[in-house]
Amino acid sequence: MTSIPLRAIAYTLIKELMLTFLLLLGVSFIIFAILYAAPGDQFNILLEGQLPTEAARAGIRDAMGVAQSWYGQYFSWLLGVLSGNFGTSVRTGLPVAGELINVSLNTLYLTLGSMVVTLLFAIPVALYSCVRGHVVAVGWSLTMLGYIISALPVFWLGYIAIYISIHVFGIFPLVSMGNPSQSNAWLSTLVPILVLGLGSGTLSEVIRSLREELSRVMAEDYVRTARAKGASVWRHAFKEGMLIPVTEIIAAKIPFILGGAVIVEQIFNWPGMGRMAWQAAQDRDFSVIMGITLVAATFVRLGSLLQRIICTAVNPHQANE
Amino acid sequence: MAVLATQPLLKIENLRTYFYARSKHSFIRAVDGVSLEVGHSETVGVVGESGSGKSIAAMSVMGLISNGPGVIGGSIRFTGRRVQRDLLEGLDKFVNVKERHGRVMVVNKDEAGWQKASERQMKNLRGKEIAMIFQNPRASLNPYITVGEQLTEAVQLHTLYKTRKEASDRALYWLEQVKIDSPRLRFNSYPADLSGGMCQRAMIAMALSSEPALLIADEPTTGLDATIQSKIVNLLEELKSETGISTLLISHDISVISRLADRVAVMYGGAVVEYGQSKLVLGEDASIKHPYTAALLASVPSEQQIRDKASLQTIEGDVLDTINVPAGCRFYARCNQITPEINEKCASHHPELREISPGHQVRCWRFSN
Amino acid sequence: MKKYTQTSGEIGDFSQLPIWQKYAWVDLLYVSYGLLIVALVLVSYMFGMLHWLPYDPQQINMDMLMAPPFSQGYWLGTDFMGRDIQSRLIMGIQAYFLPGLLAVSISLLAGVMLGILSGYLGGKIETVITYITNLIDSFPRLVLILLVVAAFKPDIYYIMMVMGITGIPAVATAIANKIRFLAQKNFIEAAIALGLRTRAIILKHILWYNCRALLIIQATLGMGEAILLETSLSYLGFGVQEPVASWGNMVQSGANYFLQGNFWPSTAPALAILFTILGFNLLGDGLNNILEDRRGR
Repeated sequence: MTSIPLRAIAYTLIKELMLTFLLLLGVSFIIFAILYAAPGDQFNILLEGQLPTEAARAGIRDAMGVAQSWYGQYFSWLLGVLSGNFGTSVRTGLPVAGELINVSLNTLYLTLGSMVVTLLFAIPVALYSCVRGHVVAVGWSLTMLGYIISALPVFWLGYIAIYISIHVFGIFPLVSMGNPSQSNAWLSTLVPILVLGLGSGTLSEVIRSLREELSRVMAEDYVRTARAKGASVWRHAFKEGMLIPVTEIIAAKIPFILGGAVIVEQIFNWPGMGRMAWQAAQDRDFSVIMGITLVAATFVRLGSLLQRIICTAVNPHQANE
Repeated sequence: MAVLATQPLLKIENLRTYFYARSKHSFIRAVDGVSLEVGHSETVGVVGESGSGKSIAAMSVMGLISNGPGVIGGSIRFTGRRVQRDLLEGLDKFVNVKERHGRVMVVNKDEAGWQKASERQMKNLRGKEIAMIFQNPRASLNPYITVGEQLTEAVQLHTLYKTRKEASDRALYWLEQVKIDSPRLRFNSYPADLSGGMCQRAMIAMALSSEPALLIADEPTTGLDATIQSKIVNLLEELKSETGISTLLISHDISVISRLADRVAVMYGGAVVEYGQSKLVLGEDASIKHPYTAALLASVPSEQQIRDKASLQTIEGDVLDTINVPAGCRFYARCNQITPEINEKCASHHPELREISPGHQVRCWRFSN
Repeated sequence: MKKYTQTSGEIGDFSQLPIWQKYAWVDLLYVSYGLLIVALVLVSYMFGMLHWLPYDPQQINMDMLMAPPFSQGYWLGTDFMGRDIQSRLIMGIQAYFLPGLLAVSISLLAGVMLGILSGYLGGKIETVITYITNLIDSFPRLVLILLVVAAFKPDIYYIMMVMGITGIPAVATAIANKIRFLAQKNFIEAAIALGLRTRAIILKHILWYNCRALLIIQATLGMGEAILLETSLSYLGFGVQEPVASWGNMVQSGANYFLQGNFWPSTAPALAILFTILGFNLLGDGLNNILEDRRGR
């Protein structure tokens, strides 16, 4: 059996980790630049928020001589962030970091679940229309369904889902209002996941890209060889035609799904990053929105890192080039 | 065994493989009524310009055509030691063809049904009894699986070497058999680490590993360097004398065909225009040849011509567009041997394949009386 | 059972086939639906600008609260304050039309430039541009916009500028890939060998002949995304504010009555969003198939 190519993976890991680090540094700088340019000396308020006591805050501007220059401010803020100090929320007066972990886990649950929903829908449709694409009516109606679902505004789809789950299934899917002692509490979390998975606007693109990749690979010479030698076509087409495209499209769609999560969390009162970001934008709560943006960008980069590693594990040759 | 003695290994009759040009609402008659025979332990070469339908004919035999409508008629009789079967038997019920003036105008085909039934017919035949190698060997090997793994898979699928150890030993044996250098090293390499010539050797090893009755070699030397080409031809020549395998060899390269083939079929515009013993068809005497064969041979420079730096002869005109098949002879527009007496017939009637001497058939009005 | 018919007889000049026989009917259907929607949006935008509306979109009619469609005079019904939904839908186009165009043109212009630079020049410049596009792609679009909203409380045009910037990587990558593909086919070397000027190669041979389809599909998809983003923002309360109409805030304000069974006030704008975005997406895909000559074999 093919062994796992550890050296190639290690090589990719180091290369991609460096790239991820550079990109996150860039992300932090852009966030800094936006807040620095914001009217009303917002960045200094943010820096003060990183300090524990009122007394320390009062003296910050004199105490930190370097903080007067913009790069000094950037680095002292970045050092704080790196040591897990994201500052204090204006709204709650609590440190942001602790709350950020809670909400990001909630959002992770929502987004990962919705990705599974998207793939559970998209992979069979892509497979079907690739293999049986010549049945025009079926292929066409599946494609059309994908288009329509993708063009539906997710906020309206959310209300439909709420209405249906209340009136047909008797589930009350608003999370924070739901009674946790209820036996079917997990059921109500399923509704937002379904809505985000189907309605985030990525579905038709996922279907299309999977189908195109699969058809392309099915037309490759080596798949023809597999057929000619009587071997399983799927065994040969799986890696390039399914595994790599699926990981690629997931990695590419993380930002979109996180964006969709903002709206879905708003509709369903889901206590996640998106809802918190919405609240923070309303309140102009800088420490919070900055922390959320950083965490979201980290999610995106980690997804892409993971995808590169899977790619390398599958095809170690590419890494050496 | 009586059947084996009288029947050729592969007998293709009136094979028709069409494609459909959607933008032009008309058929591409890639293979239009091809009949061919490959005898036991015989090598039959199919030669013709690109677009003449020779590769499509080979793919049709393997059941590898995936574009519609694909194969729409004919029979492909395979008479091997272990299997005797018509590969298209019972498939005609999935196709309904309407003709007008002898020309196909409407095809109704249940492609899913055809595909299913065809797969059933080809089961334990494809790869086991009939193996195929392709042009562009590097792309024909799976880039995500090691060469050894791909060979082992073929061995496990089609031979009695079922355990991993036995199968991989057998795979290694075949890599040695095709004279790949340092076979153990290549066994664990990915195709991308191998040269084109080595990949083709690995493909040949994979095809032969199931010890098939028939090998279809589809342009096996195209796309390789000239020196590698001659090495691959040498290898095929050796394997032919060692194993006595029947081969259907498809190539546009007349020198490859003349070195390997016992019999030769010349294809033009989806049809066989000349068929016979290699030395007759590719021989010197132009008077007993189809004009296309004569022109094809004249376009290959002889050593004398190269020495004299003589200008090359080309065939005038373009390769036949199999969408607009003319009513008369398909080579009419490019033919340089039309005489006033037969001109009318050439322009209006498609000639039949006619035996001009025992075992030598030509499709030309020049030989009609 | 699939049917293939040779319609054009034995011999014919196929370039003279009528357009509906030349292309797949599905693509033609997509394109005509898309064009219809684009025309409808354009005309409605004009009407909204000139205030040629059945009613004043902010005129409250307490006698006709949440009237269903086709009720006296209001043929798309009224919302929870008795305002004419049809007029509000038409006015809602004002909220996204120009900002959307702004976003799309920023994405296209900057994306084309970066794409050409990285694809044509390669080397270090390519590395830097790949870094920039990766950097932009690291931000979830809506989160970045919320950050900008928190920092500046900007109006919709500035938000759409940010949206345009976040759309740059897709265009740049697509163009760069196309140029790399052309270079692989020795297309660009051949053009240089022919003595063409760099400007002519880039503008005419790369952009016009080879990237036309790509730019059209990017523009239509971008417009669809811009509409979705604007409606999402106004749904979240960061875009156009009540009582000024936007499709997003119409859905949002209608939603309070949705769960009581009054579907129409929020469904009407949602359907408008659906049909419009569908139109732009189908237009892009259909044109792409036709221009890219994907007409089967």
